[in-house]
Amino acid sequence: MSYVELEAEAALAPLTVSPRARRRRLVARRFLRRPLAVGGLVVASVFVLVAILAPWVAPYHYATTDFNAVLEHSSASHLLGTDELGRDVLSRIIWGARASIQAGVLATALAMAIAVPIGLVAGYYRGWIDPVISRVTDVLLAFPFLILAVGLAAILGPSLLNATLALGIAAAPQILRVTRGETLALREEDYVRAAIANGASDAVILGRHIIPNMLNTLLVLATVTIPQAIIGEATLSFLGLGVQPPTPSWGVMLSDAQSYLTQAPRLAVYPGLAIFLCSLSFNLLGDGLRDALDPKTQR
Amino acid sequence: MTQPLLDVRELSVRFETDHGTTHAVDRMSFTLASGEVLGVVGESGCGKSVTMMALLQLLPPSAVVTGQVLFEGTDLLRVRGPQLRRARGREIAFIFQEPMTSLNPSFTIGRQIGETLSVQLGLSKRVARERTLELLELVHIPAPQRRIDEYPHQLSGGMRQRVMIAIALACDPKILIADEPTTALDVTIQAGILDLMRELRQRLGMAIILVTHNLGVVADIADRVVVMYAGRKVEEAEVHELFASPQHPYTIGLLGALPRRGARRLQEIPGRVPSLTVLPDNCTFAPRCPRRSDQCVAREPALAKVRPQHLVACFHPGVVEVAV
Repeated sequence: MSYVELEAEAALAPLTVSPRARRRRLVARRFLRRPLAVGGLVVASVFVLVAILAPWVAPYHYATTDFNAVLEHSSASHLLGTDELGRDVLSRIIWGARASIQAGVLATALAMAIAVPIGLVAGYYRGWIDPVISRVTDVLLAFPFLILAVGLAAILGPSLLNATLALGIAAAPQILRVTRGETLALREEDYVRAAIANGASDAVILGRHIIPNMLNTLLVLATVTIPQAIIGEATLSFLGLGVQPPTPSWGVMLSDAQSYLTQAPRLAVYPGLAIFLCSLSFNLLGDGLRDALDPKTQR
Repeated sequence: MTQPLLDVRELSVRFETDHGTTHAVDRMSFTLASGEVLGVVGESGCGKSVTMMALLQLLPPSAVVTGQVLFEGTDLLRVRGPQLRRARGREIAFIFQEPMTSLNPSFTIGRQIGETLSVQLGLSKRVARERTLELLELVHIPAPQRRIDEYPHQLSGGMRQRVMIAIALACDPKILIADEPTTALDVTIQAGILDLMRELRQRLGMAIILVTHNLGVVADIADRVVVMYAGRKVEEAEVHELFASPQHPYTIGLLGALPRRGARRLQEIPGRVPSLTVLPDNCTFAPRCPRRSDQCVAREPALAKVRPQHLVACFHPGVVEVAV
């Protein structure tokens, strides 16, 4: 949409509509114009809903075994077949979504909560605190994400909560690094200098000028971190450091499927597909949001 | 003489960098009366902006500032914390050269002006919005009811500079420091902004310090002019006096470089601005000066009165028969 159209639209909008509502509508329209983004939103929402509603949507309980129907192919009673204990694969994937979504979202939230404040302090105040924080971050970044998460999860002990904590802590250094960099760049902006010259306090500058202009970046970062954490949770569960059987998780299912790869490869394919689709949908959602939220985007 | 609103005494700024010391401003003194418009002119890099930034402690920590900046009796170089933030914005407001980037792209202009009002003056949202509309009207933004909810990228450069002025005016400051406010704008917009500043000064009785390298702008609006060269004040006079009888060869050079009707060719000043790594103990302009003598290279000329209200730092002052 061109500036002219934007202006015309602004002029036509009734004065009773608040600027925020008008802006929200504009963002929504821009978002809806992107098919991939909408697809991502739909798929991600389905995953989230299914995870929340698992007890109601799953055709069977995840632990219900049926030894008369072991390693069955897809059928009307078991849409995705059954596993080696005769448990319904679809039901286990649906229940497994709980662990994945929970780990993905909470770990990302935790990583943000740790990293953003520290990154802001390092980038805004500089001084002696910045090199100290940065060097510690460098050391942590030297470990690959999964190695760090595995190490932490091993120390904390195997459980979904501990896996989430481990993933959150392991994801923090990258977010910290980006936050610090963004802060460094934003504090040199003319509008920040102008705000300082006009008497704004540090809190006002951070809260009104630096954080809001960083939100797009953080949002994209979050949507990259969520799938990373989902995959991380699957990995930890696969290694036995996350969700403990019989509670299902996509990682646990993959791990169990290993022994039957030659007889029933579908047991690995279905949870793998779930991990893939879920991660991809969050990624696409994030890309779409970034483009739609950016006030400088023209379309 | 009544006490001036702002009294800057012997203000010096030097930057300690890895490559040595740069003496950006050397013993600048000037005063500003309330309601007065002071023009500060000089070429790029002569220390105009640094001087202004130093007044409100806006320079980076590598800057060493000495001297006194007396604002209504308090030394602004010694205030800290909340008192300093109060001085910035409420007493002395700044507008910068770059209107295109001096507004936060994430918020509507209404919120940005309103924020200043609520942060500095503690106004409620509703009152702040009313006042914002008034301010937008004051700076002649057409259709303020609509513009108030627009984002900076929807406004033109001149419009944004008006918004910057509105933000600066939000807290009713006693002094407005405008650092090259019109440089980034095209000429017709420039004239509009200058008209606005003149009007604001008349309506609000605000004192204005106008930093510029454009003598035309100064002639247009200023009451008094300070000419800076290489970090020092070389001449100061009432604006008419300065244009009628410039005394310092540098000022004469600047005026010669101003396009005028009937003039054959613009005169340039030969040479370049000296690097300021060592503080010279002679006249800083000597290497470029047509009137240079042994004296100029040996000692530093002191500021002397050639007439009341007209100061010059030169051993050989005087209006010259150079084609002006």
